[in-house]
Amino acid sequence: MKLKLLVLVAAMMPVLLLTTSALAADAEAYKSALAIAQETIAEAESKAQMWTTIDQLLEDAQTAAASGDFDKAVEMVNEAKLHADLAVATAEKEKSIWQKGVPK
Amino acid sequence: MKRFLIACFLCMAVANVYATPEQDRLALREFFAQRFPDLDLNELINGLYAFDEGARDQWLEMEDFPPYEIAIEEGEEAYGVSFANGKGYADCFENGGIGIKQNYPRFDPDSGEIITLEYAINQCRTDNGEEPLPWLTGELAAISAYMAYTSRGNNMNVVIPDDPRALAAYEAGKEYYYTRRGQLEFACENCHMQSAGSLLRADRLSGMLGQATHWPVYRSKWGEIGTLHKRFKECNEQVRAKSYEAQSREYRELEYFLSYMSNGMELNGPASRR
Repeated sequence: MKLKLLVLVAAMMPVLLLTTSALAADAEAYKSALAIAQETIAEAESKAQMWTTIDQLLEDAQTAAASGDFDKAVEMVNEAKLHADLAVATAEKEKSIWQKGVPK
Repeated sequence: MKRFLIACFLCMAVANVYATPEQDRLALREFFAQRFPDLDLNELINGLYAFDEGARDQWLEMEDFPPYEIAIEEGEEAYGVSFANGKGYADCFENGGIGIKQNYPRFDPDSGEIITLEYAINQCRTDNGEEPLPWLTGELAAISAYMAYTSRGNNMNVVIPDDPRALAAYEAGKEYYYTRRGQLEFACENCHMQSAGSLLRADRLSGMLGQATHWPVYRSKWGEIGTLHKRFKECNEQVRAKSYEAQSREYRELEYFLSYMSNGMELNGPASRR
């Protein structure tokens, strides 16, 4: 009986390990995606070009992460980064062309 | 000789890019004169009602019993209340604060800051040991409404002194106005110059000229009287750009520029809008 139990635990071990490591990887992926996004978001903020959408996306990501849905969390964070990238692009473009709207 | 010619060329190029505030103001008036040849430009102090006869008629009806009237009364009462140290608002302003709104925003050479009327009201409070009031609505907006009311009929007279910091603040406000921002990539200019007088969904857009003469405003949408910076925040958020705090340096500079553009136009605040 004891032997059967031992065999069963041994057989389950790779699955258990795989599940745990997959979970850890997702949490890490979220943290890493967040760090990358926050860098771009800080740049958008420093260029006075933050979008209202970004905070909401980060909030949604945090909620998803808290409930263990790291796929969704990473997706939300990447979306926030994309918005920040576009905001920075607008800032850079506008630096050289805003004057065109001024009546001469 | 060659160097002299190059210097002349560079001076001309710089002058072409950097117009003076007065050149900007005159060019803006010319822009609206060409855009709306049949419109008396002074009518632009009435915002969208300069363009929309039907809405104007409704607004004039409302003016018989204007919704901002209570705010003027509340503002006058609050203005007259002394601080704990015995002083009052009248001690902080020239002419006891009566009929002075046309001079705001002003540049303060000591701090290098742009001082809007609302900023000055709260500065008066904190200088006298009182707590500052919230910026957007309520008592501060009411006091501002009362002060605006005592200034009705005066012409906007914002001064940009010969100080590089004042000019830099004006230029920063100008850049803010003409810079596209937010997810919708709109600049203030896109709505209030290019599309002035046009409908944006159900709302007709006001023109930039005269845009600073009538604040604070009772907006039906708000159901209360609010300050210009409340509107700045709202405009930014409508294009999905994160707004600044009211009375932030950015918004005070924006107000400085915007108000200078209305120089010479009659003050008609407080006002009511949809």
